[in-house]
Amino acid sequence: MKARWLVIALALTAASTQANAFDLGKILEERINKELDKKDKSKQPQQPAQTAPAQQPATTQNAAANPPPAKQKIDARQLGFALFGDYSLEDENRIGHQIAGNLLGAVSLVRDDALQRYVNLVGNWVALQSGRSDVTWRFGVLDTEDINAFAAPGGYVFVTKGLYRLLDNEAELAGVLGHEIAHVTQKHHLKVLKQSTLIGALGQAASNKAQGSDQIVQNLIGNGAEIMARGLDKEAEFEADRIGMVFAARAGYDPWGLPTVLQDMAGLPAKDERTSLLYKTHPHPADRLAALGEAVGGRMDNVRGKDLPDRFYRIK
Amino acid sequence: MKRFRIPFAALAACLAVSTAWAAPGTVLRNDKLYAQPSAAATVAGSVAKGANVEVLSKQGGWLRVTAGRTTGWIRLLSVRVGAGGLGGAGIGDVVGAATTKSDPSRVVAVAGLRGLNDEELKTAKFNPEEMARLEAQGVSGAQARSFASQGGLAAASVPALPGPEPKQSSSSWGNN
Ligand SMILES: [Zn+2]
Repeated sequence: MKARWLVIALALTAASTQANAFDLGKILEERINKELDKKDKSKQPQQPAQTAPAQQPATTQNAAANPPPAKQKIDARQLGFALFGDYSLEDENRIGHQIAGNLLGAVSLVRDDALQRYVNLVGNWVALQSGRSDVTWRFGVLDTEDINAFAAPGGYVFVTKGLYRLLDNEAELAGVLGHEIAHVTQKHHLKVLKQSTLIGALGQAASNKAQGSDQIVQNLIGNGAEIMARGLDKEAEFEADRIGMVFAARAGYDPWGLPTVLQDMAGLPAKDERTSLLYKTHPHPADRLAALGEAVGGRMDNVRGKDLPDRFYRIK
Repeated sequence: MKRFRIPFAALAACLAVSTAWAAPGTVLRNDKLYAQPSAAATVAGSVAKGANVEVLSKQGGWLRVTAGRTTGWIRLLSVRVGAGGLGGAGIGDVVGAATTKSDPSRVVAVAGLRGLNDEELKTAKFNPEEMARLEAQGVSGAQARSFASQGGLAAASVPALPGPEPKQSSSSWGNN
């Protein structure tokens, strides 16, 4: 396993220093076939991403010192993000831009400028506490009665009108946005992409040499905004609750905003169609309350914050 | 506008009018009942995970509840307000049945409102006009800071919460 990775690392490095010296596409095809073969044999494929970091530093340094020639048929960096280590900020922004734009193709923004501005002001203030200032944060309220919220890499955050209607004050909004902001700072969706689409991305890149970069990103994220319907693992959601609650508290809000919204959601009828996607992508609110309770205990006992119910923007 | 509010929110609204109103709740983790909404207050009793309580009122991170013959304050995150029991998939169905039965107006309010579905998301095409609208609505950090200070908000130092300890899933009686 390790040896094979070394071979690919060397192949990539070589390819980026000596253009066209290797048929990179062919190497990748072989690599993909091996991966697919392995997947057939065992239901539990090994995670190449866990083996990769060992070779990562040398490879990235080489890539940085010797940028790939412009005329190369396959952009080694495109493959690099899937094969070795992290996505660059540029990659993250492109992926997030595509996901957000696709989501907005399924549901548009509420036509209420005052509402959208209000949510952007609260969201940016909470995001200022997140420690992530390298992305441009954008917030939007989606025109659907569905009860949900979404985050995409690169700082895109959405709440639905249905969820917004459940909120009663600014601290609750801050808690909900804090949860989504945490998904971005923890790069939860990028981690999912790296795990689930590694092979697909390689195959795509190898077989569509002439395609534009937008198409490469689209193929990476799958169809439309389906990544938003796929959901993250439970631990990522529990982590976003813990971090989101802290972000809201650091922004000076009452820390109990997010728990209160979770209580509200837990009280909704289970058959309510407005929550079907939410429950498909998130653990049940009762489980989220329990998990958050384990982490919080008495740690927020001395944290005081504001609710700001009077300033809260109410949807007509 | 507030016709979709659910038990927990209804609780807050009702309490303002009458203290006789109570909502059912389920204890999510073993915890203590205190005489006051503070962990420094006298311990009035203990409740075990799964126990049913009556929720009487809410104050910050605390709920005033009655468990058996004891009334006291318990941490907000130790109780799930509503009739859904411990929750999770499946059990939640009981909530729907119970809630619609006790409040027929809810059926009317919810009917016809459907959520997003997988197919809509899968077939979605990039919408440049809406993206332009989203970008145009963005605000700067300076605007957000001034908005915060207008509301009397100041950044506070709050330590991160710990993640779960491996293999230590069930709560103990003394963990607060
Ligand atoms: Zn989430």
